[in-house]
Amino acid sequence: MWDSRSRFATTLIIIGCLVAAGCLVSARNKSFFGQTDPPRENILRYVSGSEPESIDPQIPNNQNEARISLALFEGLAEYDPKTSEPVPALAERWEVNKDWSEVVFYLRRDGRFSNGDPITARDFVYTIRRGLTPEVGSRSASLAYPIKYAQAFNEGGVFVYDPAAKTFLLEKDFVENADQAKAVAPISSASPDKNPAPPAANALADSEFHRFMQEPARLVLPGSEKARKAALEANPKIKAAITGKQFVPVKADDVGVEAVDDYMFRISLMQPAPYFISMMPHQFFRAVHQKTIEKFGNRWTDTNNIVTSGAFKLDSWNHYDRIVVSRNPHYWDAANVHLDKIIFYLLDSNTTMLSLYKSGGLDATYNHTVPSAWLDVIGPMKDFMDASEAAIDYYNFNTTSGPTKDVRVRKALNMSLDKKALADWRHVRPLTSIIPDGIFPGYPHPNGDPFDPEKAKRLLAEAGYRDASGNFDPQKFEASEIELIVNPDSNNVPYAEFIQAQWKQNLGATIAIRIMENKTFFKAATNLDYKGVSRTGWAADYLDPFTFLSIFYTPRGSNGTGWWDPKYVELLDRANRMTDHQKRYEMLAQAEQIMLDAQPVIPLTVGTTRWMKKPYVKGLYPNPVTLHSWKAVYIERDPGKWDYGMPDMSK
Amino acid sequence: MGLWNARYEQVTEPGRHLTNQPMARFIIRRVVVIIPMLFIVISLTWALVRLAPGNFYSGEKKLAVGVEANLREKYGLDKPWYVQYGKVLKNIARLDFGTSLKYEGQSVNQILWRALPVSAALGVSAYIIALIVGIVAGTFSALKPYSWIDYSSMTLAMLGISIPNFVLGPLLVLLFSLTLFWFPPALWDGFPSRSLVLPALTLAAIYIAYVARLTRSGMLEIMRSDYIRTARAKGLSEGQVVMRHAMRGGLLPVVSFSGPALAFLITGTVVVEKVFALPGLGNYFINACFNRDEPLIIGIVAFIAITVLVFNLLVDIAYGFIDPRIRYA
Amino acid sequence: MKDHPATSEAIEGTSLWRDAWRRLLKNRLAVFGMVIVIVIALASIVGPTLISKTAGYSYDSIPRDSNLIKSFAPFTGAGGKFSWAHPMGTDNAGRDILARVLSGGQISLIVALIATLVSLLIGVSYGAVAGYVGGKIDDLMMRIVDVLYSLPYVIIVIVLLALLPAKTPVGQLAELFFALGAVSWLTMARIVRGQIMSLKNQEFVLAARATGVSTPNIIFRHLVPNALGPVIVYATLTIPTVMLSEAFLSFLGLGVRPPRVSWGSLAAEGAQNLAVYPWQLIFPGLTMALMLFSLNFLGDGLRDALDPQMKKG
Repeated sequence: MWDSRSRFATTLIIIGCLVAAGCLVSARNKSFFGQTDPPRENILRYVSGSEPESIDPQIPNNQNEARISLALFEGLAEYDPKTSEPVPALAERWEVNKDWSEVVFYLRRDGRFSNGDPITARDFVYTIRRGLTPEVGSRSASLAYPIKYAQAFNEGGVFVYDPAAKTFLLEKDFVENADQAKAVAPISSASPDKNPAPPAANALADSEFHRFMQEPARLVLPGSEKARKAALEANPKIKAAITGKQFVPVKADDVGVEAVDDYMFRISLMQPAPYFISMMPHQFFRAVHQKTIEKFGNRWTDTNNIVTSGAFKLDSWNHYDRIVVSRNPHYWDAANVHLDKIIFYLLDSNTTMLSLYKSGGLDATYNHTVPSAWLDVIGPMKDFMDASEAAIDYYNFNTTSGPTKDVRVRKALNMSLDKKALADWRHVRPLTSIIPDGIFPGYPHPNGDPFDPEKAKRLLAEAGYRDASGNFDPQKFEASEIELIVNPDSNNVPYAEFIQAQWKQNLGATIAIRIMENKTFFKAATNLDYKGVSRTGWAADYLDPFTFLSIFYTPRGSNGTGWWDPKYVELLDRANRMTDHQKRYEMLAQAEQIMLDAQPVIPLTVGTTRWMKKPYVKGLYPNPVTLHSWKAVYIERDPGKWDYGMPDMSK
Repeated sequence: MGLWNARYEQVTEPGRHLTNQPMARFIIRRVVVIIPMLFIVISLTWALVRLAPGNFYSGEKKLAVGVEANLREKYGLDKPWYVQYGKVLKNIARLDFGTSLKYEGQSVNQILWRALPVSAALGVSAYIIALIVGIVAGTFSALKPYSWIDYSSMTLAMLGISIPNFVLGPLLVLLFSLTLFWFPPALWDGFPSRSLVLPALTLAAIYIAYVARLTRSGMLEIMRSDYIRTARAKGLSEGQVVMRHAMRGGLLPVVSFSGPALAFLITGTVVVEKVFALPGLGNYFINACFNRDEPLIIGIVAFIAITVLVFNLLVDIAYGFIDPRIRYA
Repeated sequence: MKDHPATSEAIEGTSLWRDAWRRLLKNRLAVFGMVIVIVIALASIVGPTLISKTAGYSYDSIPRDSNLIKSFAPFTGAGGKFSWAHPMGTDNAGRDILARVLSGGQISLIVALIATLVSLLIGVSYGAVAGYVGGKIDDLMMRIVDVLYSLPYVIIVIVLLALLPAKTPVGQLAELFFALGAVSWLTMARIVRGQIMSLKNQEFVLAARATGVSTPNIIFRHLVPNALGPVIVYATLTIPTVMLSEAFLSFLGLGVRPPRVSWGSLAAEGAQNLAVYPWQLIFPGLTMALMLFSLNFLGDGLRDALDPQMKKG
């Protein structure tokens, strides 16, 4: 028989080792989370997120692809590393005319693609028109909709041509709130002009196309017969007018972008869009190489074929493993690019990322990679980066069917949540409206409904869930089979459980949580195929309140609730036509109030960015969107110059 | 995943009939079994995938009716089930497993080609480690039974069998990656590299234990047998006795364990690849299951089935060469 | 073979079982294993109720006070002060890990026992029939076992569980029992077949056949009871195997679903937080290892006790 003593001894030794290891883990590394030796080479090891669907900058619209696109492609403007506001890149400067109908960009002369070809205004004309082409299937094309006829082209619309009069029907003759921007106020300060030049945009070289752009907008009707019929029914005046007219499809050539000459790029806008410049750093607007795309079609992003315009070029893409980019020698600012290579690891498990970061395999992570539950330990560390984020967490209601069709039910569910408790638990801030505070100075936030469980119960009783004496009856409510659906994620499920416990505590009713696997979840949520509440979130595409308000601009797409109010849309359009920055904000807030009154969502919390960065990584700042201008990043070898804590964010 | 028990296998081992058949017939019989086996496995898997709710194209955006119809037509989902089944079988016969439904544009063969070296490197390293460490430990234990070497190796072996790999792996990571910073906690850096060490150790642990125990009991039995006594009587040194004579017989259980070992290794790699985020077959398999990625599921299952069946055949042949008592006469 | 001392026990006439029991008790490791197994099993059975009666929370209670909804280290309370409340610490939602480990033990034990039973039933029937009938049918049946044995058809089980999730908790558990039982009956079948084959030509079987007892009766009422020795031993060895399989499946997210916990799912949660809260993995992991460790020793001991002729060394 095996001797029990030696067996005891072995077991004790093993247990002892484990305990020691546990203690070691907690005792070490008080200031930094893990290893702090810089890589020997001049490379940055980053994690971009899960495998990109494509590295074509115009097709996908997720952050994991954006991070890579920002390294490979260059635009007219770039994100400022600290503030995320637009700073000149391929455009040296830009001008906006008084009524916001035109923007002119003056390009630098030394912009080059990765194969040496010069980058000219014509490339930007091609880029935007190509991105709007319906067959390309861009998910972010709607960003370009402020451009004249961009939406019409992208949605396959048609002009209405009068062969007799040889003219096109004009929008202003048929639509009520046509262009009225005649205000003479100064240029909006929401998107500060870095180099204000005399507003002489109209005095530039004229051309036939430009004259076309300056004409009043043509009427556009939907391309598909079914949608067109519906539009015609809605507006009898148009219906009467189209008899005997031809439908002419809107072409790429009609989109309001023009190369005035090689280095002057003019955009004509459909209606004022004060947030337009802040969209220019988005990857949709970054230069792509026309000849490559025309030659290779879908395969143009293959490693052997691809031609890029940014500070880095593509070296290799090992699927589901990593993408490696290295410096582009033809880049116009190559002298100021510090890194030789960036490795983007393609991971989506936060735990794996942070383990890799701790052991020294990663130099920095992207936003939200630090799980909320770890904040107690990681928050105090000097390599923890945090900042207010232009992103919100909220729940959608299904307003089209089920118990949540009734606005009183929606308001009640919103009012019976103690959002402050939720926010405190997760070290974030509570949200009663949908625009996060602290990001847009001067925005007059409307107040959403406060936490009031008694009123909630009264509303529910009013809505029919009451017993004989008129008080709220939780069982009746539960019998409506209302549920909360979420997809699995380290944050979603605990949130849901917390909120479920809140509802149980404050209303006495248990609302079932259904955890659905990703695919099934997205299907059900998009099709409004559930009864009750579903979890979602939204990150800003650009820094302007409109990026959040535009969620409800159309009934489908990003909406997810089925709620749509033409008054809301009208207010938003009017607000965007305002050139007074503060008045615009006020009108946007009015629109937001309309939305809050209808309560299609439960605003929950506004997040903070929460990521990790080694002290030797410089030039990477905790900005509100956690998108970085990669050329600004470098590895600092002198420990005296490392970042102990968050880097200095002042300009 | 069964606890493989040397004693019972040798007593009750059915169906081998090794002493009665010529080698060629034996091999042919085994090869012939592979085809219907594969057929059953693939059909079963295919049926399970089809029965499952949800389909691979359930994505974030609602598909317009026309687009969904196009998709179904493109993937042949609009045809009756037996037509689709036949098509799948036909394609597999040509070793064309199709294109992955989730990993756009990647054919299943491409994915297998890319994932196989990772799993193979992991599995082979683990097995070699297990063989070396296990055989050495088992032999020393057998040579000095009931000594402290014996007790401690066998207790550690028992621990190896008892600590699940999904506990051992993270514990190794905790110690060697996150505290000592010796090895990376995840990702695959190619072969050979430091990224292979912890996963291979985790995977090998349970097999070290089995191999050690098997070697010990096998060697003990052999050491007592007549022909070893003869060898000793002839005056051979202990080392010669061990290496030349005892090993051959004592290793028999280890060799015949190789067959099931492969099967266990495969299930083990599923966990190890998940814990260490390695892009191997196990990881792809699990993701394919959760994504309802039918071609990939079938491709991996078929591949594993073929590998295991062929490997077992090879093991049986090797068994015949090693054991001097068994001949295919 | 050990010498049995010629004491009064020989005169009393011991049964096979009592002999075996005595041999087992002499094996100190096996006794140690048995004690641990019983302790953990008892703790899992009564522990959760005991904890909820004395401390007031169950394994899935999230504390109301949001300051307590975090992962405390063992014996630590709010503010980092020493506290008896959580000897194993808490998980990210503030739930007591000891309660969770014990509750997980409940599930692990139930699943292991029932799945072993399932595998017993299938394996014994299959093997007994094959062993008794013999000939071509036996050949075929064993060939099937051969081939299934060589396949890692846990893979198929994974496909099954991933793709056909049952909707209700009871359904999920039932699926799990079936799946696990289906994985482990093979060796049982082989063992039983071997036993039956060696027993079937003995006199008592010939006598039964001569007196016209029907075949099923011969198999199940005469042969099987005599083959029970190895069956019991192997059943004891199956329990840790099945426990491990269940934990493995729960770790992958295929076994027990929330809010229920099992050691495997606890290990999965713990592995997620390894870099900052290692106790979330260490305690469930160690408990499971200890349980398996003890079960293995107990199984080894049982095997030695019941089959002394098979003993080696």
